[in-house]
Amino acid sequence: MPLNFTLASRNLLHDRLRFVATTIGIVFSVVLVMVQMGLYLGFGHMVTRMIDRSDADLWVMRRGTKCFEDPSLIDARKQGAYQAIPGVASAEPLVIGFSDWHMKSGAITPVFIVGSNLNGIGLRPWDVVKGSVDSLSQEDAVAVDETYHERLGTSGIGSTAEIRGQPVKVTVLTQGIRSFTTTPYVFVDMNRARTYIGIPKTYANYFLIKLKPGADAAQVSKAIEAQSPTYEVLTQGQFAERSRTFWLFGTGAGTALFAGALLGVIVGTVIVAQTLYSSTKDHIEEFATLRAIGSSNRYIYKVIMYQALLNAVIGFVLAAIIGYAVVLFTRSGSLPVVITPWLMGAIFLLTVVMCVASAFTAILRVVRIDPVVVFSR
Amino acid sequence: MSDPVLEAKGVAKVLGHGAGEVHALRGVDLSLHGGELTLLMGPSGSGKTTLLSVLGCMLAPTSGTVHVCGHPTENAGAERLAELRRNHIGFIFQSYHLFPTLTAAENIQLALDVRGEQGEKARTRALDALARVGLSHKIKSYPREMSGGEQQRVAIARAIVSDPSAILADEPTAALDSENGQAIMGILADIAREPGRGVLVVTHDSRLSVFADRIHHIEDGRIVRVEENSARPENLRAAAGAPR
Repeated sequence: MPLNFTLASRNLLHDRLRFVATTIGIVFSVVLVMVQMGLYLGFGHMVTRMIDRSDADLWVMRRGTKCFEDPSLIDARKQGAYQAIPGVASAEPLVIGFSDWHMKSGAITPVFIVGSNLNGIGLRPWDVVKGSVDSLSQEDAVAVDETYHERLGTSGIGSTAEIRGQPVKVTVLTQGIRSFTTTPYVFVDMNRARTYIGIPKTYANYFLIKLKPGADAAQVSKAIEAQSPTYEVLTQGQFAERSRTFWLFGTGAGTALFAGALLGVIVGTVIVAQTLYSSTKDHIEEFATLRAIGSSNRYIYKVIMYQALLNAVIGFVLAAIIGYAVVLFTRSGSLPVVITPWLMGAIFLLTVVMCVASAFTAILRVVRIDPVVVFSR
Repeated sequence: MSDPVLEAKGVAKVLGHGAGEVHALRGVDLSLHGGELTLLMGPSGSGKTTLLSVLGCMLAPTSGTVHVCGHPTENAGAERLAELRRNHIGFIFQSYHLFPTLTAAENIQLALDVRGEQGEKARTRALDALARVGLSHKIKSYPREMSGGEQQRVAIARAIVSDPSAILADEPTAALDSENGQAIMGILADIAREPGRGVLVVTHDSRLSVFADRIHHIEDGRIVRVEENSARPENLRAAAGAPR
């Protein structure tokens, strides 16, 4: 181990109280960044979940649709015309919208209806823990998520309620299909969805297009848009990106999350900078001695940098443990914190950059050392 | 006589500006030769430490020249001066300036580490230097666990470990009692016996003159007298109890 690393680590641990305070500061800062960015990822993931879960290659919607939950009506009778376009394997209408869930107790709660052709490429419920998706073809069958039992006044399979005056019975339970709007999703057959939402049978909100193998998506999009000039066709990825951009930046939620993360970086940088500066000031005679015995400035910078890097590594490891706990704790919540290996790596890099950048104030202090002071002290 | 390891010619140093201007050195000539222990003596404020700083490449002279092992220091930048110190000069300070978080052996090894010498070889050299000042049993001791005399011995070991041509010591016995002071001077005198290595000791303690080959007296920034000490007893080192 290089001796300047030993010197750096011992200097760092010499004043334990300061070391603990610095570590807490870094951990706080890194956890803040981690959670904010984890929420950003989690939010981004949640708002596109329905789109990501569909088997569609293309989504047809009314021009200007902002996101999945912002549906405008389109003509469902176009199904045949779209299916006739070369390259299209299938075109399935999708019906979505808000409605009210009337509980037995008389309480009412809003729900978000997702209705699609259960035999086609529509949006079928996933992560089913009880019941069968096929049962949704029954007259009053619905699928709900078990995490919403309390909200919906249900207790499991067989629970009943009413939507728009129509009796419904829970026949399918999923686990973890939660909405970031906190409004529970209710999966039903497409025709009944129209009834629950209150739209005519000739309308839908989207068409989900499945392409034949090797078909040109751009050509198909062009053909659909030629037939329906007021509609637009987006690939699954494009629609997900549009939804994500709308929710994250159109609403300001993403900006707020980024601002929180930036605040974390600033707090961390200031804490580490302040600590390294005061530590360097406390050890200034030692640095002057190093300079007097002939060390290069580079050697001294390394000592300070090692201190900064040690701060970064120790702080990051502790923050990562806390971050992991936060991930576990929020996993089944309405807005889980998602920390991917990529995000972890990026935050580690950010922590290192933050600590190294903080070292510059200390280095500026050291640069001004006059080795001759060792004779006067 | 061999070429000087350190040589100052006509060195003047003005400190401060305007009304606070002080002529700390006024045309000093001084040569330090290998195999000799030279004392620089003078009262407080006479310019001893300023001259030591100039000779040690820590302070640039206002005029005059300084050569370190034949290398001129004129127009040298801070890094070049650090390189000259690193390669040719060992320093011993009045207040030791050991690193409190490093052991005795590590403190010594640091002088090699700044030169890029690391690993087992550096460790062995550091232990040899520690043995030379009689502190082999203090390898793992921290400065706070050692007496003043022991700390100064460690500082001497740090100064000699890289085998420099010149050792500059600033009041090395000032913080020590008489017995420890004599022992330290004995070690320095012993070091100065080595050919090619000169030791310059700044002191105001005239009792140390018995250890010197030459004594430069400085007053008001000028060398006012140089004494040769031909009668220096060779057995002083042994009498002082310095280890060989």
